[in-house]
Amino acid sequence: MLSCAEFLAEFGDYLEEVASPKVRARLEEHLHECKTCKVIVDTTRNTIRFVTDCDSFTLTADQVEPIVKDVMSRIRDKKS
Amino acid sequence: MCKHDIEALRAAGFDDSKILECILIVALGQLLCTLANALGPSLDAGLPVLPSIESSRLPEPVEWFETTGPYLQPSPPPDSNFQPCAFFQEQFGFVPKIFQEQMLRPDVVDAESQSLAQILIPEDLLSRIAKEHIVLVVSAANLNTYFVAVHSQMLATLGVPLEDSDQIVEDHRCAAISPAELALLDEVRKLAIWPGSEAQFDTAGLQAHGFSEPQILEAIAMAAVTNFLNTVQAGLGAVPDFPPRRVFTRKDLYPSVSASRLTSGATFPDDPDATAVARVQGGDTGAFEELVRRHSRRVFSTLAGLLANLDDARDVTQDVFLKAFENIGRFQGRSKFSTWLTSIAINTGTELLRQRRPSESLDQGEEGDEFRPRQIQSWADNPEQVLAASEMKQLVREGVLRLPEKYRIVVLLRDINQVSTEEAAAALELSIPAVKARLLRGRLMLRESLAPHFVRVQKRSPDAQLR
Repeated sequence: MLSCAEFLAEFGDYLEEVASPKVRARLEEHLHECKTCKVIVDTTRNTIRFVTDCDSFTLTADQVEPIVKDVMSRIRDKKS
Repeated sequence: MCKHDIEALRAAGFDDSKILECILIVALGQLLCTLANALGPSLDAGLPVLPSIESSRLPEPVEWFETTGPYLQPSPPPDSNFQPCAFFQEQFGFVPKIFQEQMLRPDVVDAESQSLAQILIPEDLLSRIAKEHIVLVVSAANLNTYFVAVHSQMLATLGVPLEDSDQIVEDHRCAAISPAELALLDEVRKLAIWPGSEAQFDTAGLQAHGFSEPQILEAIAMAAVTNFLNTVQAGLGAVPDFPPRRVFTRKDLYPSVSASRLTSGATFPDDPDATAVARVQGGDTGAFEELVRRHSRRVFSTLAGLLANLDDARDVTQDVFLKAFENIGRFQGRSKFSTWLTSIAINTGTELLRQRRPSESLDQGEEGDEFRPRQIQSWADNPEQVLAASEMKQLVREGVLRLPEKYRIVVLLRDINQVSTEEAAAALELSIPAVKARLLRGRLMLRESLAPHFVRVQKRSPDAQLR
C-alpha cells in the first residue's frame, strides 16, 4: 500500500478527478486505511470550494463598466 | 510506392542500384525543398522567375504506401570496420534497417550517419529530446509508421515514456511540453512533406519564444533530414525495427487532408472570442469593448491576487487591455484569446512586482522537499457556517495573499479564475506537470492557513498522524 508521502505526492489528479482508474484505485486503497489522509483530502476539497466560491478578488458589476469606459476612452484618445 | 512499383521499374530495365539512386534523388529533393520552404531564400541571380505553385493545384496522392518491404534485393553486409555501423551501434544500440537496406550505396549511408551525428546527436543548441520530438512530429505528419516506431523507442532509451511519445505523435498540442517547444513543433510540422501546408514557417515567432537563429536552423535541418529519411523509407519499404505502437493506415490519409493543420493563422478551436478578435483585427475598434467587458473580471482578479493591492489591480487592468489592443494584430490564435490576455496580465503584473521587489522570481524551480501537512484534524461538518460570508471572504483573501508568488498565481488562475490546467500552463509558460505540482502545493498551503478556523473541537484522534 502507498505511504502517506506517496499518497500526498500523487493525489493532485485525484482531487481534480482526472486520475487514471489504476491510480485512483491505489489512492482509494490508501484512503480506506488512513484516516489522516482522508481528513487532508476532505479539508483540501473544502479549501478549494471556499476559494472558488467566495469571490475574494472579484469586481462587482458596477466596477466593471468604469474600467470598460476608461479603456475605450484611452484607446480612442490614442487613435485620434 | 509499393513492391509493384519497384517490379515495374525492374521490368523497364532499371536495376536495384539505379532504383535506389532514384529514391535517393527524390529524397534529396524533399530535403532541399524543406530547407527552401523554411528559409525562403531569394532566387539566385540569372534564374527565371516561375509562377508560384499553389498547393491546391498539386495532385493529391492516390495510392497509399504500405510498409511491406524491403522492396530491393538484400544488400551485401557492410565491412566490419564500416564506420557508420559503429556510429549507429554506439548512438542507437543497433543498426536501423533503413540504413542496412541502402548498403548498395555505402557512401550515402556514411553521409547520412554524418548528418545525424551533426544534427540529431549534439546537445549544444536544441536538446536531443527536442530533436527526437521533431522527428516524431514530422514523421507522424508524413504518416511514416517506421520512423515513429523507431524514434519512440529511441526516446524511451533517453528516459521518455512511450506514452509521452504517443501523445506527441497523436497531438503534440496536448503533450506535456513547454509553450516554447509547442511553438517549435507547430512550426516544424508545417515543413512535413504531406499534406503540404501553405502556412509560412514563422522564424520571428520562434525568436519571440526565445529560440536563437542557430537553434531554429537546427530545427529546420532536423525536419529536412526527417523528410529525406521518411522518403527513403517509403521508397525502400523498410520494416520497423520495433513493433510499432501506431500504425498509420489508409484511414489516416484522407481525413488528415481536411483536418485543420496547425498553422500560425489558424484560430484556436472553440475560442468564444474568435469573432470579436477577428473584427478588432479587421479595424473594428468598437468590438474590443465587448472583449474588455467579458474579460475585465478575470484580468482584475489575476492582478489583484498577484499585486495584493486592489487599486493597483484596477489601474494595471486598464494597462493590460491597452497592451492587448496594441498587439492584437500579432495575436495569431495559437491559444485562446483569454489565455493570451492572461499571459499579458501575468507578465505586466510580475514586471511591476520585479520593479518593486527585484529579488523574487516567479520562475524559481520546484522545491525538492515534500510538503508535509501539519493541520491534520477534521473540520467542522459545515465549515461555511463557522464564519460570516464577509469574514470568509477576508480569510481566503489573506490566505491566498500569504502564498508565495509562484503558488499564488497558479491558485488564482485555476481556483479563482477557473482556467484549465492547460491554459494556465500556456499563460505561465510552464509545463503541465509543473502547474499541477504548484497547484497542489498552493492548495495544501492555503488549507494549512485556513484549518485553524474550522477545526472541529474534539480530542485529537490517536491515529491522526502521517505514516
